[in-house]
Amino acid sequence: MGRVGIGLALAAFAVALTLPQFAGPFWMGLVTQMLIFGLLALSVDLLLGQTGLFSLCHASFFAVAAYTTAILQVRYAVPTLLAAPAGLVAGTLLALGFGLAVRTRGVYFILITIALGYIVWGVLHRWSSFTGGDNGVTNVPFPAVGELRIGSHTEYYYFVLAVVIACALVYRVLIASPFGLSLRGIKASETRTRSLGYRTGLHLYAAFVLSGLLASLAGVLYVYYNRFVNPVSASFPISVEATLMAIIGGSGTIAGPFIGSGIILGLRNWVSSFFELYATVMGVVFIATVLWAPDGIVGLVNRLRAARARRKAL
Amino acid sequence: MSEPLLSVRGIHTYYGDSYVLQGVSLELQEGRIVAILGRNGMGKTTLIRSVAGLTPPREGEVLFKGRSLRGLPPYAIAQLGMANVPQGRRIFGSLTVRENLLLPTSALAGGRPAQAREGRKRWDLDAVLQEFPQLAERIAHSGGALSGGEQQMLAVGRALMANPDLILMDEPSEGLAPRLVQQVEAIMKSLRAHGHAILLVEQNFALAVSVADSIHVLSSGRFVFQGTPAELARDSEILDHHLGVAGSQTA
Repeated sequence: MGRVGIGLALAAFAVALTLPQFAGPFWMGLVTQMLIFGLLALSVDLLLGQTGLFSLCHASFFAVAAYTTAILQVRYAVPTLLAAPAGLVAGTLLALGFGLAVRTRGVYFILITIALGYIVWGVLHRWSSFTGGDNGVTNVPFPAVGELRIGSHTEYYYFVLAVVIACALVYRVLIASPFGLSLRGIKASETRTRSLGYRTGLHLYAAFVLSGLLASLAGVLYVYYNRFVNPVSASFPISVEATLMAIIGGSGTIAGPFIGSGIILGLRNWVSSFFELYATVMGVVFIATVLWAPDGIVGLVNRLRAARARRKAL
Repeated sequence: MSEPLLSVRGIHTYYGDSYVLQGVSLELQEGRIVAILGRNGMGKTTLIRSVAGLTPPREGEVLFKGRSLRGLPPYAIAQLGMANVPQGRRIFGSLTVRENLLLPTSALAGGRPAQAREGRKRWDLDAVLQEFPQLAERIAHSGGALSGGEQQMLAVGRALMANPDLILMDEPSEGLAPRLVQQVEAIMKSLRAHGHAILLVEQNFALAVSVADSIHVLSSGRFVFQGTPAELARDSEILDHHLGVAGSQTA
């Protein structure tokens, strides 16, 4: 990250800290949602942007973590301190199983992850005696640890912000580590990386599980924000949307997925207030991205800056 | 004669349905250069891929340091001390020069840097950059932004970072200007002087003759000649029929 990047990050942090001072509850709710789905998009991009694997089942980890936490909190009155980690564990266990999909590559990997995603959606949808079927699980309380409880959307926003910043920092360390380098090597050429002595299949599996853990974290944050969860969370469009967020914002970067999440959720809220076919508008936005900014917003900004620097140099 | 570093024993390798290597054997001693010459499509690259475990032979056996490589995946073979400088360089274009060089040294890749053989130069980032000063100048550039010659140096540097006992080189002169081919020749001689063994696959007759300790000529999946460069230069039939080099040009 250059000086400009650090400046932008600090400015974004300052805005994020003071936001509740001038934004009402509706906007705070929307921004919280942007952060949570940004985290989900980041988890997708750990595979897409770092290793080149295109996974379309991340809604599964998101939803299974959300359901686990919700069911434990609501039906069994398990405290947050246990219910939230249980959600992470459940989503990650699922990722340990689904991760075997990395034995395949390319279009087969995409197809298998789509199929796995549909299985999870089907179970959540049809096993209504346990999951609540279409109604899902309602009345999830705000998170509380002992006497310490989060009592408002603004407080919860700050909590989510702290978690997101912590995740971004850990993610940064991860991709700068030798493990992160091996993933980028695999993205560039798996065969070459293997010839250098890397057990690439194992590295991809590890990346898949880590990515599932991150998606589960987003799911747990989501269920405490939304206060209920239904099978829509596990549906195919959620997986696709998370992927689009990463691509529109800038795949392979940390800020990109969050920018993409902000754009997609912001546009959806705005457009759906006056136009029913907001999905059509999203489609047009995505096509425009692919045509004119294939590296997303972050890539576009970098390109414009490089062009300006060249002009200055002349 | 001591036990050879690499010993290829009667291997038969198929590429899909086509029967490429039809019983090939060779031995390579430590610190030596063995060159495989042959025209396009004779199985040279397949031989390299067979040794590296990328296309394992269906019959026969490859022994490295006396150990059979049968059933070993490519990463495990690399960790035994074999590095590959593949045809067309195949560096990581999207990674920087530094990242390209650091990839093989990671503990995740078997952590070989500490295992350099006694008495032999130990390669690390500094040593490689000293050997190839041009790479030092472009350390932060992406691999894809390098010229062909620089990419070749990067590919060799990357192989050295693993401190291998054996380096497989597949047509390192391909696509390089004559001046750069001379540089590749100098690099190979320097590697041998440092104690690395090289299995070289080439179409460039002059280069192979100049660097190799012994030469094998591969034609339609079989060796039709094995001997010293001097013996090959005298064998006009092999030169004419299997290499397409007229005797006069080699004099």
